[in-house]
Amino acid sequence: MSSLQELQDLIHEKYGIEASALDPNASMRDKGFDSLALVEFQFAIEDHFGISLPDVDSHIDTLAELAAVVDRIKASQAA
Amino acid sequence: MNEVAITGLGVVSPHGDDPHAMFAALMQARSALTLVYPELPKPTAAATVEFDASRWFTKLQLAGVDRVSQFAVAAADLAMRDAAAAGTVEPQRMGVYVGCGMGGAAALDAAYRGGARVPPLTIPAFMPNAPAAHVAMRQRALGPVLTYSVACASSAVAIAEAAQAVQRGEIDLAVAGGAEALIVPGVILAWQAMQTLASFAPGEAASAVRPFALERSGFALGEGAAFVILESAERARRRGATCYAVLAGWGLSCDATHLTKPDASGQARALRQALARADLSPPQVGYCNAHGTATRIGDVVERAALAEVWGPQLDQLQVSSTKALHAHLLGAAGALEAVITILALHHRQVPPNAHVQDMDPQCELHLVRHVHTAAPDLQAAISNSFAFGGTNSVLLFRRP
Repeated sequence: MSSLQELQDLIHEKYGIEASALDPNASMRDKGFDSLALVEFQFAIEDHFGISLPDVDSHIDTLAELAAVVDRIKASQAA
Repeated sequence: MNEVAITGLGVVSPHGDDPHAMFAALMQARSALTLVYPELPKPTAAATVEFDASRWFTKLQLAGVDRVSQFAVAAADLAMRDAAAAGTVEPQRMGVYVGCGMGGAAALDAAYRGGARVPPLTIPAFMPNAPAAHVAMRQRALGPVLTYSVACASSAVAIAEAAQAVQRGEIDLAVAGGAEALIVPGVILAWQAMQTLASFAPGEAASAVRPFALERSGFALGEGAAFVILESAERARRRGATCYAVLAGWGLSCDATHLTKPDASGQARALRQALARADLSPPQVGYCNAHGTATRIGDVVERAALAEVWGPQLDQLQVSSTKALHAHLLGAAGALEAVITILALHHRQVPPNAHVQDMDPQCELHLVRHVHTAAPDLQAAISNSFAFGGTNSVLLFRRP
């Protein structure tokens, strides 16, 4: 199951941004997530899902990509 | 040499974010001190700020921005608006000079309390030059963007340095002031351990700080930010800006005797420097916003320094420490008190030195004892800021 919906809820809760205002396939940086905000958001994701994100995520640019990484890690850490 | 004009004021203070309303509250001796963190073993008074960050930041923009930087961005922006200065200066010719004692104390406190999970933006949130950097980004200042960490004199030093740069023509416009936000349990406990914070009877937090009083027992911590806009008086006239006051003189000196114990002769040197630079003699200065931290030793030493410079004319100088009402903003204290001093000149009223039943005979000064004291002849005034570390800063303002 995709984590996209949960990530959208987390973004809404943390930053007050509606899911409809952030196209999962658009650049998050263009929506104001600079590198610092992304680092902070990844920290929140780790807390929320109880997972540990690898440090390779600096080229993640869309919410869909982020959701895919979270899905993969959830799957591998559950295994 | 260029004359340096103050053309904008901005505060995020325990008395709100309108400088004139803040001044009116001080004139009424309204204290902003309250009991904080009742769970602490020793009762603690502090002056906190009611702050709505959403007026300046989206939630997304707040990533890694500590409360201290939020205050700085807000107060600097209010000062720029007050001066109607935005767009009047080439970004390269604009400087930002910020005093900050402790940086993002809340970020550091949270990191210690978070156990193994330290938020990834703790460092950018904590670093003491973050407030200046955030102000620069918000105002697009491309010139010198500098931070002065000189304990309780930080922001007074920052204003003096900004004035110097404006006077020499190195920049056209300076945003100068300070910010501090360290009212977190760890920092309070550290100050208590130093035995510098005021003690008070239950229910008397508001009047805990009693500068120059016989019964004084120290200061209370305050938080907030204050900024002024500096530019040459000629430039201010040309663009039709309001000139609140001229920063006519400033003095910087160091005691170089003791890390925390103040020294009257060091302070007197800063006072004389400020007078000399302004080409004024002591009786021409009618009001002193004292450093006045209400510590046993500090107030006596400051009185001795003023007596050394003013001599037999000391009684002509009206003195008050407004820290009784807004508490000690440490790195932001010099800037906040500079704004108060400027408004005293502007309104020709001097704020009271509150909470004094009996003046300490060792602090014999012409204290402003009453609320709503008019000063119709006031032409010039000084603001003193004396730091741990021995650095002394005196700012001397006069009416334009």
